[in-house]
Amino acid sequence: MSNAIETFDLGYRAGKHFEIRDLGLKVREGSIYGFLGPNGSGKTTTIRLLLGMLKPVRGTITVLGRKVPDEMARIMAQTGYVPERPHLYPYLTLEQAVRYHAAFYEGFDMAYAGEMRRSFGLPLDQKLSHLSKGEIGKLHMLLVLAQRPKLLVLDEPTDGLDPVVRRDVLSALLDFCSQGSATVFISSHLVHELERICDWVGVLDNGKLVVELPMQSFKNGIKRIRLTGAPSLVGDTPFVLLQRETTGTEQVWVVRGWQPPMAQWFEGVGAAVKEVVDLDLEEGFVELLRSSRAPVS
Amino acid sequence: MYKQVLKAQWLAARLPVVLLAVLAFALPLLTVTSGSGLANAPVERVGQWLFAAQQVGVLIPGLALLAGLLLGIGAWAPDHAAKHVYALALPIPRSMFVLLRFAAGATLLAIPVVTLGVGAIVATLSVSLPDGVHAYPLQLTARFAMAALVCFAIFFAISIATKRAALATLGVICGVLLADAVLASLSIKDAASVTASVFYLLTNWPGPLSILMGRWALFDV
Repeated sequence: MSNAIETFDLGYRAGKHFEIRDLGLKVREGSIYGFLGPNGSGKTTTIRLLLGMLKPVRGTITVLGRKVPDEMARIMAQTGYVPERPHLYPYLTLEQAVRYHAAFYEGFDMAYAGEMRRSFGLPLDQKLSHLSKGEIGKLHMLLVLAQRPKLLVLDEPTDGLDPVVRRDVLSALLDFCSQGSATVFISSHLVHELERICDWVGVLDNGKLVVELPMQSFKNGIKRIRLTGAPSLVGDTPFVLLQRETTGTEQVWVVRGWQPPMAQWFEGVGAAVKEVVDLDLEEGFVELLRSSRAPVS
Repeated sequence: MYKQVLKAQWLAARLPVVLLAVLAFALPLLTVTSGSGLANAPVERVGQWLFAAQQVGVLIPGLALLAGLLLGIGAWAPDHAAKHVYALALPIPRSMFVLLRFAAGATLLAIPVVTLGVGAIVATLSVSLPDGVHAYPLQLTARFAMAALVCFAIFFAISIATKRAALATLGVICGVLLADAVLASLSIKDAASVTASVFYLLTNWPGPLSILMGRWALFDV
C-alpha cells in the first residue's frame, strides 16, 4: 500500500527555541491518522510544511504522490484543509462563502454541501461574523467534505467546540470516510477523540516524532507491569521500556510493544510478574511523552 | 473563479468604492458651478473661470491616488486578517491568485473611472463654452483611469508584502527623511536634499507617479 503523505528527514526551524527534527512521517492511503502531541509540539507547523505554507530547511515531502512544494496546486485540488483557526472571510454570508469556495474546486459537490448544511442546521443568509464557533467549525467541515477530497488534513478541527458540535463534526467526517477511500490526517491533543476514530497514530513532542504505529498496537501494546526481583540493569528487552519506578520491594515498569509471551523474559532475568495493567490511550500517551523527555537508562 | 473573487472583493470594499464613485462624479461638476453664460463673457471672466476650473482639477489626481490607496490595500485586507491561510490553501498557483485579486481590484476601480467620465460629460454638456475653449472629458477620464491604475498597482504591491517587507520599506522611508533632516540641521550648502531627489525621480518621467503631475483640466484652450 502506498503512502498518502510521506516525509523524509524533514527539518524546520522557527526562532531560536523551536525546531522540527528528522521528521519521517508515513501516512498510509485510506487510513485515518491521528497526529497527537501536546500544545506547542509542532503539529500545526508540520501541517503547514506538508501543505507547502512553510519552507523546510531540509528533507523531502511527498503528498498524494506529488512533491511539495513543486506541485502544490495539484495537491491542494485533492486536499481538504481545515486550519487550526477560522480563516474564512467574515463579511461573506454562508451561501456566499460556499459559492466562493466551490469556485476553486472542480469536483465540489454542491448537492452534498446543501445536504450537510441542512443536517448541521446552518443558516444560509447569515454572515460568517455572526456565526458561533460551533457553526464555523461545522461550515469548515462542510466545505472540505463537499470538495470530495482524496486527502483531508484537519488541524485540531474540534478544538474549543462543545461536545454536541464535536460529535456532529466527527460523525460527518466518519460518514464521509465510509463512502470512499479518503485519507484523513487529523491533529489533536484530545487523545480520547482520536482513540474513537483513528486507525494509525503518530505522536509528536518538541518537534520530534516519538512514535508512529497502528492505533490497535498503541492501545493494546502499552502496559504497566508490577513485578518483583527486577534487575537494576536492563539489557536487550523484547519490548520497549518507557518508565521504571521502584516502590518498596516492587517495581513498576511501563512498556510498549507488550505481548503475553514476553512474561517469560522476566523469568529469565529472575523477576516475577505480579500484574499486567492495560493503560488507556491517554495514560499511554502521557507515558510516551515522559519517556521521550527523560529516557530510561 | 474571477466572478467569485470579484464579488467577494466588492462586498469587502463596496463602501469606499461608492464613496469614490460619488466624489468622481461630483468633481467635474464642481468645475462648472460658476460657468453659466460664458459664451459671450469677456476674456477676463473666461480666464478667471478657467483658472478656477483648473484649481478644482488639482483634486482629480488626488482622487486617483485615494482610489488606488483604498482599493490597493483593500484588495488584501481580508487575506491579511486571515494570515493568508485560506489563500495559500487554494488549489491554484499563488501567482494566479495575485492576478485574480489584481483583476478584481482593477475592475472595481472602473466604477469611479466611469462615474468620473459621466460627470465630465454632464459637466461639459451643462456649460456653453466660448470660442477657443475646449472640453476634454474623454481625455481626462482616460488619464484618471491610468493614474488610478498606477496608484492601485503601487499600493497593491506594497500591501501584498509581509510585515517584514512593509517594515523594511518604512525603514527606508524613515532613513531618507532622517538623512534629509541631518543634512538640513548641518546647514551644508549645496547638499542635495535626498527627499527632493527621490520625489523628483518618482514624479518625473519615467517615474511611476509622473502621471499624477501636470495640468488636470476638463476645460482648456
